[in-house]
Amino acid sequence: MIRNPSQSKGAMFATSSMVKIGMLAGIGMVLMLLDFPLPLFPSFLQIDLSDVPAVIGAFSMGPAAGVMIELLKNLLKIIVGSNTGGVGELANFLVGAGYVLPLALVYQRWPNRQGVLWGSITATVGAAVFAGVLNYFIFIPAYAVVLGFPVEVFVDTAALVNSAVVDLRTMVIFAIVPFNLIKGVIIAVASLTVHRVLRPLWDKF
Amino acid sequence: MRFKNLTIGQHIPGDSVIHRLDPRTKILGTTMLIVLLFSVNGFIGYGLAALAIAAVIQASELPWRYVLRGLRPLMVILILTVSLNLFMTEGEPLLRIWFLTVTKEGLLRGLMMGARLVLLIAGTSMLTLTTSPIQLTDGIETLLNPARKIGVPAHELAMMMTIALRFIPTLLEETEKIMKAQMARGADFQSGNLMQRAKNLIPLLVPLFVNAFRRADDLAIAMEARGYRGGEGRTKFRELRFGRIDAAAITIVIAFTVVVGFFF
Repeated sequence: MIRNPSQSKGAMFATSSMVKIGMLAGIGMVLMLLDFPLPLFPSFLQIDLSDVPAVIGAFSMGPAAGVMIELLKNLLKIIVGSNTGGVGELANFLVGAGYVLPLALVYQRWPNRQGVLWGSITATVGAAVFAGVLNYFIFIPAYAVVLGFPVEVFVDTAALVNSAVVDLRTMVIFAIVPFNLIKGVIIAVASLTVHRVLRPLWDKF
Repeated sequence: MRFKNLTIGQHIPGDSVIHRLDPRTKILGTTMLIVLLFSVNGFIGYGLAALAIAAVIQASELPWRYVLRGLRPLMVILILTVSLNLFMTEGEPLLRIWFLTVTKEGLLRGLMMGARLVLLIAGTSMLTLTTSPIQLTDGIETLLNPARKIGVPAHELAMMMTIALRFIPTLLEETEKIMKAQMARGADFQSGNLMQRAKNLIPLLVPLFVNAFRRADDLAIAMEARGYRGGEGRTKFRELRFGRIDAAAITIVIAFTVVVGFFF
């Protein structure tokens, strides 16, 4: 038999996995177009289910595949035309990877119902905290520099809809972290339901 | 909830000088533009950058309204940026409307920030308007090739991206079809609270995933049957060629960036 290098380079880059990862990234891109705004939160925080394919991919092909799907999804978004100059995509990738990675690592260690449950909890809390830290130290200051106005403006827009917000720290604690917690729970519920239905099909494909 | 826009991608095919440039040239040129826009500080610099972008738009033979249309999603943030800088910068007062004071410094700063934002988006959208996603992927692959040595999977990344790009239109069409089929059976994608709406999407997601996996399986078998075995030694039907116009274009862009970035 002819040695096939694409099969020997580790599971993620075997032809069948590459095709699946590409396809899942495509689904992620399509789901990004189906977002819905969240009441009580500023409009630049939007929820979509585009992380579900990454979670499904991570369950079936391992943590690296999940992160790869997140990366591809955002690269695709930049290539077909981004309207935040890549900053929004970078943020989406980091928070998405921060969600998929812990979930997949816990599931890899304990591939059962308990693993899924605790993995989802770790991922939701972990990604929300990670998103808060990233926004506090990097993204909101970066947006402020690019747009040339003080950070308080973001805080004021957030304060219009949420009275608990008074400064950048309270904005992170009362808007960004809860938003990501809600998003994490929604992604977990959707992914787990899809995963439960699809699981019997894994062996076929 | 419904699709914001069903057409994905902004690429407009054409045969102008800009369209014919190698994607690598255009990626490098766009990077230079971003660097330039963040290093210039003054109206002459922005004016020169604007002239350069206008020249590129003219040379691309694209109707101006396509470029302007790309700026539309930016409108709110643009108005916000300009007006905030206009009213909140302290300095020599020019005009007083009720409690708002326009200062000279504020006016200059607001106009400059607005100009930077517009030029940034107009300039980068020229890349995606004149280059097809497939060409861009090809360009990224060859640009990443030197990084293979440190373990960057350039070919694999490009291959997965190409597969995704090929199937996005198919997946979009399928999503619409499944949505309509489920709505005909009484599914509701529009109402309910957040959790309810996310749950309502399950009857959409499951068939979408099943079909995608089936397609992926077919494609993987077809690829292996045709002897696909990774990037090593793989030949291409359309090779990227770095021609004389690319050399000329890159020289002009570098010279322009250095001169304008340094002096203005």
